[in-house]
Parts: sequence; structure tokens; C-alpha cells
Amino acid sequence: MKKIVAVTACPTGIAHTYMAAENLEMAGKELNVAIKVETQGSIGAENQLTENDIKEADAVIIAAATKVDKSRFEGKPILEVPVEEAIKNPKDLIERALKMEKPKDYIDKVEKIHEERASQRTGAYKHLMTGVSYMIPFVVAGGISIALSFLWGYKAFQVQGTLPAALMQIGSGAAFALMVPILSGFLAYSIADRPGLVPGMVGGMLAVSTGAGFLGGIISGFLAGYTVYYLKKTIKLPKTMEGLMPVLILPVLSTLIVGLLMIYVVGTPMKTIMTGLTNWLKGMGSTNAVIFGALLGLMMAFDMGGPVNKTAYTFATGLLASNVFMPMAAVMAAGMTPPLGLALATVLFRNRFTQEEREAGKAAWVLGASFITEGAIPFAAADPFRVIPSIMVGSAVTGALSMLFHIELRAPHGGIFVIPIAISNPLLYIVAILIGMVVTALMIGLLKKKIS
Amino acid sequence: MIEEILDKDMMIFDLKSNDKLSVLKELIKPLAAKDAIDDEDKFLDVVLKREEEYSTGIGMGVAIPHGKSSLVKKASLVFGKSKEGIDYNSMDGKPAHLFFLIAAPENSDNIHLKILAKLSRSLMHEEVREELNKAETYEDVVNAFKKYE
Repeated sequence: MKKIVAVTACPTGIAHTYMAAENLEMAGKELNVAIKVETQGSIGAENQLTENDIKEADAVIIAAATKVDKSRFEGKPILEVPVEEAIKNPKDLIERALKMEKPKDYIDKVEKIHEERASQRTGAYKHLMTGVSYMIPFVVAGGISIALSFLWGYKAFQVQGTLPAALMQIGSGAAFALMVPILSGFLAYSIADRPGLVPGMVGGMLAVSTGAGFLGGIISGFLAGYTVYYLKKTIKLPKTMEGLMPVLILPVLSTLIVGLLMIYVVGTPMKTIMTGLTNWLKGMGSTNAVIFGALLGLMMAFDMGGPVNKTAYTFATGLLASNVFMPMAAVMAAGMTPPLGLALATVLFRNRFTQEEREAGKAAWVLGASFITEGAIPFAAADPFRVIPSIMVGSAVTGALSMLFHIELRAPHGGIFVIPIAISNPLLYIVAILIGMVVTALMIGLLKKKIS
Repeated sequence: MIEEILDKDMMIFDLKSNDKLSVLKELIKPLAAKDAIDDEDKFLDVVLKREEEYSTGIGMGVAIPHGKSSLVKKASLVFGKSKEGIDYNSMDGKPAHLFFLIAAPENSDNIHLKILAKLSRSLMHEEVREELNKAETYEDVVNAFKKYE
């Protein structure tokens, strides 16, 4: 049975509110539609809609001559009409409201969560994510170019003047070389707007040339952003000279400050850290590799695209700039596993899921294959204590296997579509993902109860 | 329940008016006579102002003009009937036969408002309207509403 919730209200709140409510209720009975009507009259709100009523409703009717707060109906199709309309044509209203009902597309929902999360980011995390989001396309373009050059063999690019050499020059020589400067520049841009770009990008270049890597680039980005931010605040010029601020004073001063700090203060210690980290990652024994891969996997699944997930992701992406490609592979595989594992579970254990969730499962295949971890969120939100542990374990297994198999990935995104070109061992990679999926699905089947 | 708010002296079974303004005046008269409101003319203004927002002629032959004001001393209801029907600028364009003038004080207690809410709901049912159209006495009116109490 379809369900509708409605609110009626009128200026005096004595008569029309209730007549409209009565008529809607009568029409609902006639049309065999469950309807609950909240009356906002002079007595106050009666027959109040609960959160659950609203959740279960297919559509909302607001029949009011006064303003009614709509925030609690977010995400529902809402039909708003004058109160008389509900007295005159209640049946027509219900039919219209139900026609508005477009089942919320699952992929839309995930997209919305994605956007909401982005808009909720604040402070340093937001700035870092801005930088990362500008950097990613460079890494994708560069990574794929490099991967393409391997089609002629791993060492083909070493022969000067060949196409593989050109591809390597594009990918590694240019696109990857821009990674850290772009990260640093747009991180600073997020903090201080346009004037942040110059010191940010210069600082990023210096991070690369001093060997401070992407960690150094993150530092230079913050340094540049806040330097410009405070310079803008403290430097006060006479009106006639204000024009010099953006073209001369800010860029020169901020670039000198950031540049000198990068060379004399930040560069050397960061280089030591980066070299240590790189060497450790490259020379890691099997045990450590498995532990590290599992850790990355746990992080990727824990909040499905949230800050913990992004930390692991940013870390792995940044390492590409230092020619460390294994964590990237582990991170992507572990990020694909949660939606895929859940999708598999909806097929293997149909009776653990509602009709709606089974439908969502179909979309989850696509989202998982595209490395959109957020695809698991609607399932996790409905049953967090069973779903989140299941996907975390599955992702940990996948991450560990990916590291154990020494699989490298040169592109930071793309899911299934980059596996054939950017993954060093596609077959084993798919095996790692499949095993994680099965683990997640089995755990879901074990933990989730049958729906009666 | 409706007895609590419906007074035998506030019922006009044979309305004389034949337009909206005069029927409102005719319905307000008993309120003043029973000292339920302070100022007849001012209360008429309150009711007319409410009509301006949109007609309380809700169609189906029913009109429920109403006013909420500090001029009202006691929540009251005036029932009126017109055989010929009065052009009330109703939502369905048809003449109104049944009138319920509601007077509510600014701070009316909820019991009366709840009765009025119930009454408004009852009026939506065809059986109730049919009974009211046939009603000749106070008891008839009360019994008509009993159906949906």
C-alpha cells in the first residue's frame, strides 16, 4: 500500500485545517492509500508526523495557506497546494502526489552523500581535499600515459625517439612532475584564494626538487596559504598603491618566505622522512606488506569515503610521485571491495535484504566496479554494526593480498576500467578483489538476520 | 459534544438575506444579542478580513465564516440555513445553504477549538450535510453531528 503524509494549515487554524485533513483522509481510504495528516491549527500540531511516518511515506502533501517548515521532508517528493485545494479535490491531490513519486535513484543518493560530505568539510581537511581533488586528474592522465608505454614492454621507453618514450615523457616527465606543485598550489588556493597559487606552486616545485615529496608539498601548501592569508591582513598600503598588492607585493613576498622556508627549514627533514618511508615501502618484507595492506584496507572501508578513507587514499596517491606504486593498488582494490561485497551478498543472501536493498545491490555492482566506495554507505547506514565490520574485514583481506602479490597501480582512480592497462598483474589483482568480496558477503550472511 | 458550543438561541433556520454581506450581518446579530462579542461592526470587519484571504464558502453548499479576535468573549457558533441558497462566492461557485459562523476569542481554550475542529471535519461527510439540510430543530442539528462524533 502506498503511503502519504500530509500537513494542513490555514491562517486562523480553526476550520479549513481540519476540513482539509478530513477530506484527505477520506480520499485516502477511497483510493486505498495510507495517509496520515498532521493538522497545524490554532490548537497546535495534532496527529504529528513521526520521523518513521515520513521515512515510510512515498510522497508528501502540504495543503496550507501559511508557511510550513519543509526541512523534515527533505528528499521526498513534495506537493504543495493551497489548503482549499485539499477540500475541493483531495483525490486528485493524492493521485498527483503519488505520480510525483520517482523512486529515488540509488546512484543519485550516493552522489548526494558524496556532495554533502564535500560541503561539510572544514578547515585544514577541506583545504587538503581541495588540493587533492585538483591533483587527481593529473595523476590519472600521467599514470595512464605511463601504463600505455608499458604496452610495448616494461623497458620500451628507454629507447629514445620511440612512442613509448614519448608516452613516458608525457606521463612521468610532465603530468607526474606537476602533481605535487598542483597539490600544493591548490591547497594554498583553498586557504588564500588566487594569491595563494604562486607561493603554493613554487613551494610544491621546491618540495619535489629537495626530495621532500608529497608530504613536503602538503606542508608547502599550508605554508603558502597561511602566509598569504596573514600578509593580506597585515600589509596596509595607501589607496594609490593598492593595485601593486596582487601583482607585485603578495607574490614576491610570499614566494620568498615560502621558498626560503622550504629550502632551509622544511626540505631536509622532510627529505629524510620521505626517503625513509619510500625505502621502507619498497623494501618491505611479506609480513609487513600484508599488515600494511590490511591496515590500508581497514581504513578504506571504515568510513567509505570519509576522512579516514581519504587519508589512506591521499597517502597512496602522494606516493605515486615518489614512484611507489603498491599502496595505490591496495587502496583501490580495498575501496572497490565494499560495494562489490555487498552487491554479492544481496545475490547470495536475498532474504537478509529488503526489496529496496536488493535493487540497490544492482547499482552497487557498478559503483564498486568504478571504485566509488560511497556505494556501500546506504547499506552501512541501515545496519552499521553488521555491515561496517563485514566490509572492513573484506577490504583488509583484499588490501593485504594486493600487497602480498606485489601488485602495482600507476593510476589513482578508474576501478575496473584501468585494471587492464595500469595494473601490473591484472589477473592476481582480480583474484584479490574477488576474495575480499566473498569474505564480506559471507560475513554479511552470517551477521545479518533474515528479514521476516 | 456540539451541544457545549451550540446555543438554541444562536440558530436561524430561515435566513432572510440573499447576499454575502447581509448574511454575515444576520449571523452576527445573535452573537451580539447573547453578549458573546463586544462590538458587532468590528467583529464583522474581522470576519470580512478573513474572507479576503479566500472565501470560507467551501463548496458543497456549506460556508463557515469565522473570526478569531479579542472582541470575542466566549467561543460561539451560530448555525444558519437558507432554503433558496445564497451566493457566497464559494469555491465551487454554487450557492451556500448551510452556514456556521464561528467566533473564537484570541485566547480560547483548547476544548472549544477541538469541538470546532471536529465540527469542521464532520461537515466533510455527505451524510452529515444531508441531515443538516433536512434539520428543522436544534435536536436535528445536534443529531446530525452525532453521526460523526
